[in-house]
Amino acid sequence: MLGDRRIPDGGEVMAMTETRNRDEIYKTDHVTSIWWIVAAPAVWAVHFLASYLTAAIFCAKFADSDRSAGEVQLAVMAYTVVAIMIIAGVGWSGRRRHRDGHDRSPHDGATAADLRRMIGLSTFLLSLLSAVATIFTALVFYFVGTCH
Amino acid sequence: MNTDAPGEASDDDRLDVRLDDRAKRLLDAWRTPTGWRYWTAVNNSEVGLWYVVASFTFFLFGGILALLMRIQLALPDNDFLTADQYNQVFTMHGSVMMFLFAVPILEAISILLLPEMLGARDLPFPRLSAYGFWCFVIGGVFVCGSIFFGVAPEGGWFMYPPMTTEYQTGVGVDIWLLGLSFIEVASIAAAVELIVGVMKCRPPGMQLNLIPLYAWYILVVAVMILFAFPPLIAGDLLMELQRSLDWPFFDASRGGDPLLWQHLFWIFGHPEVYIVFLPSIALIAMIVPTFARTPMVGYGWIVLAAVGTGFLSFGLWVHHMFTTGLPAISIGIFSAASQAVAIPTGIQLFCFIATLLIGRVTKSVCLLFTLGGLATFIIGGLTGVMVAVAPFDYQAHDTYFIVGHLHYVLIGGTIFPIVAGVYYYYPAVTGKQLSEKLGRYAFWLMLVGFNVSFFPMHLSGLLGMPRRVYTYPAELGLGTLNLISTVGAFVLAIGFIVFLYDVLRSKKNQPLVPRNLWNAGTLEWLGEVPDKPWGVRSIPIVESRYPLWDQEDFVEDVDAGRFYLPDAEEGLRETLVTSVVDAKPIQCLRVPGPTFLTHFAAIFTGGVFILSTYHWYVAATISGVLAFITILVWLWTGTAPIPEKQEKDVGRGLTLPIYVSGSKAVGWWAMFITMLGDMTAFISLVFGYFFYWTAHDDFPPNGSSGPGWIWPSVAMLTMLLAYLATLAARRWNRQDHAVRFYGAIVCGVVLSIAGGLAVLYGPWTHQMDPTAHVYPAIVWVLAIWTALHVVLGVVMHLYCAARRAAGRMTARCDADIVNVTLYWHFLMLTTAITCLVIAGFPMVAK
Amino acid sequence: MSFLLIGDLSQSTLDPAGHGAAQIADLFLWMLGGGVLIWLIVVGLAVYSVVVPGGHRPRLTKTLVIGGGAVFPTLVLTSLLCYALAMLPELHRPPPEASLTIDVSGVRWWWRVGYRTGENQRVETANEIRLPVDQPVEFKLTSEDVIHSFWIPALGGKVDMIPGRETRLKLHPNRVGTFRGVCAEYCGTAHAQMAFDVLVMSQADFEQWLRSQKRDASEPSGRAATAGRELFHRKGCGACHTIRGTDAGGRVGPDLTHFDSRLSLGAAIKPNDADNLRRWISRTHDVKPGVQMPAFERLNQDELDSIVAYLEQLN
Repeated sequence: MLGDRRIPDGGEVMAMTETRNRDEIYKTDHVTSIWWIVAAPAVWAVHFLASYLTAAIFCAKFADSDRSAGEVQLAVMAYTVVAIMIIAGVGWSGRRRHRDGHDRSPHDGATAADLRRMIGLSTFLLSLLSAVATIFTALVFYFVGTCH
Repeated sequence: MNTDAPGEASDDDRLDVRLDDRAKRLLDAWRTPTGWRYWTAVNNSEVGLWYVVASFTFFLFGGILALLMRIQLALPDNDFLTADQYNQVFTMHGSVMMFLFAVPILEAISILLLPEMLGARDLPFPRLSAYGFWCFVIGGVFVCGSIFFGVAPEGGWFMYPPMTTEYQTGVGVDIWLLGLSFIEVASIAAAVELIVGVMKCRPPGMQLNLIPLYAWYILVVAVMILFAFPPLIAGDLLMELQRSLDWPFFDASRGGDPLLWQHLFWIFGHPEVYIVFLPSIALIAMIVPTFARTPMVGYGWIVLAAVGTGFLSFGLWVHHMFTTGLPAISIGIFSAASQAVAIPTGIQLFCFIATLLIGRVTKSVCLLFTLGGLATFIIGGLTGVMVAVAPFDYQAHDTYFIVGHLHYVLIGGTIFPIVAGVYYYYPAVTGKQLSEKLGRYAFWLMLVGFNVSFFPMHLSGLLGMPRRVYTYPAELGLGTLNLISTVGAFVLAIGFIVFLYDVLRSKKNQPLVPRNLWNAGTLEWLGEVPDKPWGVRSIPIVESRYPLWDQEDFVEDVDAGRFYLPDAEEGLRETLVTSVVDAKPIQCLRVPGPTFLTHFAAIFTGGVFILSTYHWYVAATISGVLAFITILVWLWTGTAPIPEKQEKDVGRGLTLPIYVSGSKAVGWWAMFITMLGDMTAFISLVFGYFFYWTAHDDFPPNGSSGPGWIWPSVAMLTMLLAYLATLAARRWNRQDHAVRFYGAIVCGVVLSIAGGLAVLYGPWTHQMDPTAHVYPAIVWVLAIWTALHVVLGVVMHLYCAARRAAGRMTARCDADIVNVTLYWHFLMLTTAITCLVIAGFPMVAK
Repeated sequence: MSFLLIGDLSQSTLDPAGHGAAQIADLFLWMLGGGVLIWLIVVGLAVYSVVVPGGHRPRLTKTLVIGGGAVFPTLVLTSLLCYALAMLPELHRPPPEASLTIDVSGVRWWWRVGYRTGENQRVETANEIRLPVDQPVEFKLTSEDVIHSFWIPALGGKVDMIPGRETRLKLHPNRVGTFRGVCAEYCGTAHAQMAFDVLVMSQADFEQWLRSQKRDASEPSGRAATAGRELFHRKGCGACHTIRGTDAGGRVGPDLTHFDSRLSLGAAIKPNDADNLRRWISRTHDVKPGVQMPAFERLNQDELDSIVAYLEQLN
């Protein structure tokens, strides 16, 4: 049987993954890191909802007769600073894992290291997109300052 | 690269006798029933195929409706259709295309192909797919049939109240609400199936960085379905309550608000567009590398694009409401997100182009449709960016410009890629190839017809033609443009007929194609020609994104049964379950085979919805009880059976457990995912409560009595105790304390019943009249929603007790009670939110 | 852009006669130009990738994905977003205090129009709106039944009319002319036939018109018209229609006090002449399906003629 030499058997596959884990500095890192992929867009979502709800509720319930929304602008500025900081943190950690071992894309090896790098890359790229989308939301409050 | 000529299928002869026996046993286990029993099949290759055929049939129906509209609009002041007929036709065209074609076709294709791409023998819940399919067929025929009796809905596919609640009194709206809710349930079932499929049923070694791009997209899309459809179901529920019980959710004179429907509808409706579009892009992501002969460039970038689009698409819904008089600040927010979503779309396109640039392109009809689709879609994308710019939308909204835009997106971004997909995968499914020549004819007819039909619509819209008009005066000068559109529509239709002919023509005399006709690199091309029902001979270890290209002697090893599960010693259907991130094998999952239970369940569930449409509530209730019993029988006999042994050798010296419970088990994931969808529907209702608060100066209205704080608090407390009893039951079952277990269950049941009644008793004892004002109505809805979930929780308690008593659940094989506990986590959350909102918020708001 | 004005009725967004519409038309042309350019580049690239046999360097394509797919679109979209956002405050800012205010409410399937002429004073008309040129005007929009949408393409964007809410729309016509407005939100059977005429006129003409609208209806002259008035009341038309200065005070249908001064009938679906009016009264549902008014099929020719004669004197 030709295949027996080449294909790792079941025990080996399990063992290989065990070894991979031992090789890694961050032992459980890649298991939890799937959540890293969605972390940055989730921050965008929270920022987006918070900005929308603040504006909508303020304009519906609390706006003065001159309809100015200065308080909302301040609040959203604060949200934005916090959101961008978190996104930057997530993105930086993603980029660090993506560049781990100075390996370049496409990260398509059957190793735990490449898995980590790929998830790192996706995390990093999604952070960039989320940052842009968050800034887009914030721009609205720069240009529009009333409840009209 | 491994391509076996079809004539050499006698590989089997050369294998030794022992292997032959193994193959025979495997074949027996997966054999498709024959004769009339064929329809009891639940395997993905059968159900997926039926699903595809049914969706395409509905597509043709929707297409004929479109042609009727184009005939009516060909000339100004035309009287081919009456106003009411036209309004029914356009309503049905939109509803059929969106609910009966666009979403189902993606689920159909995924059910058919996803297991093959993952080298799995089947999806984890084949019967659920079959149940979803039969629900879809019953609901679809019911909804479509209405137009032949002249009672079809005529409220548009968006069904805006108060037109649909107070001014259209026929059954049309009910048919739409109930018929389509029924189908939405089926869609959610498919979403659960696909999510668990991608996460848990991959071949060993296929870690997240190696899964086919199609699977990434489908994972994103299925999660989107899970969060997008429930708000619509919640909206349907509110509207149906208004129509049948006169609860005034959308009636402004009693505190309701028509805009709540628009929010709920578009929270569904906009992600829907991406739900429809992403799977088609996923097909392109499979086709492009094959014809470029090189792996996809920018795998990580495409993952970014898929996930990013999935998120951003939930921040766009208000751009369908730009003209409802919202403050500029709200409009700006959604305008910004609508612009941002264009970024990931652009990235995907450039990844495809880059892949084509790097590779050496083989030309074919598939690629023609792919590129034609992209060129068309880009126009739709660019006009999409235009209408995302709010000031322009003030003009373009609800005009033919939008009709043009959305068809460029949906036909360019969805239909063309699907046709490309059909040309691509037809040989894998049937063993025969479609004609390249006819394909080219079909392509050019469709491309030219489409553009001639839809391009002029942009101009008609800018010249002031609103949507959904059954006629227009000659003096507007729109006659020529509309005539051109109609001619184009018929050319497009001819293109489809050519394509249809190519698909349906007899191919008896045509030779079988060689295996892996296009020399693709992914697992779905492992299928033999003609295909065997087992999917793959043995489930391979995957070490590359394109194993057929990169892994040496891969096909031989699979065929020789050198990988996992090459045998079915017990004659049962089995597939592998692996871990979510790194695809380590963790279980040998036994999946159920053919059955009629799914048909009965679908018929009885359909009965509930269809009979309610005509207000035959007694019959509907009986049907509901029957559905309930059928589903209980299905669960009792088909799920989590205790195996004859704990572990089994799956080949290559690997022994895996047959029974697992908790987060390792697919059933646990299914429960978790279903409950996420359920929670989303519930949160949508809670959103309604607060929406009324923002829309009114005083909400809860002064002088109205709320449910008080006493009974909701009692309810929360009792339910908390019932929840603790559930946790205790799980614990004591695990410790094998039978008496304590049953005791905990009894406590749980009694406490739950008390809690459920207490939730309802608050509004009841304060005589809140749900028809008087929207405030009591929304409080009742939250209370009843919670109470119904409590009832289900009680049934689950009793089910677990019965399972243990019948010896179908033991201390070790405890999946039932573990899954029920998971349900109870969500139930506790639901109860807590309900009680806090209905009892707590009035105190804060005052 | 006048070549795009193909029809006799002016309902085009590309032939603007108001500040808002003009700004938006400019915006569209810029976006159109940019869009065409982007489409040509991307599709050209795709075609090139297929036609010219491949083997391009991976590094080049990486630059392409990052530059063309991510950086370039982000820059373009950011500038477009800023440009559009900068337009929003002005479009949404209400007009100065003393501006002309007009109440319009959508009714299936026509428009009730009210000019606020003073404290608690209102002049009501229907299906026709006249505006002074170069004056900002604010519309207060409501609905009496379902959701409608008020749209005058030549003057600016649309705003929905929603039961239970009052929405606002500011327009600023800058050219004298006759335009057409329509309902843009699907509102049931005769949605396609819910339009209105918009006449933008000089300040002096407008004031004269408004003065004439304030007056009660003129007395009929001639036998036919007098008989017509009699018949109008006997047939119960006054239960739904108001003719100020007479007993007719119904609110269900359009105010007819100055009916003959209007350009068209049936919510701007036919020119307002005797033939169309006859057809409208006797075969209402052939002209406009679903409309609430019953068709007076039983009227004989004389009766019809006299009612028409009466209505034609309501100028």
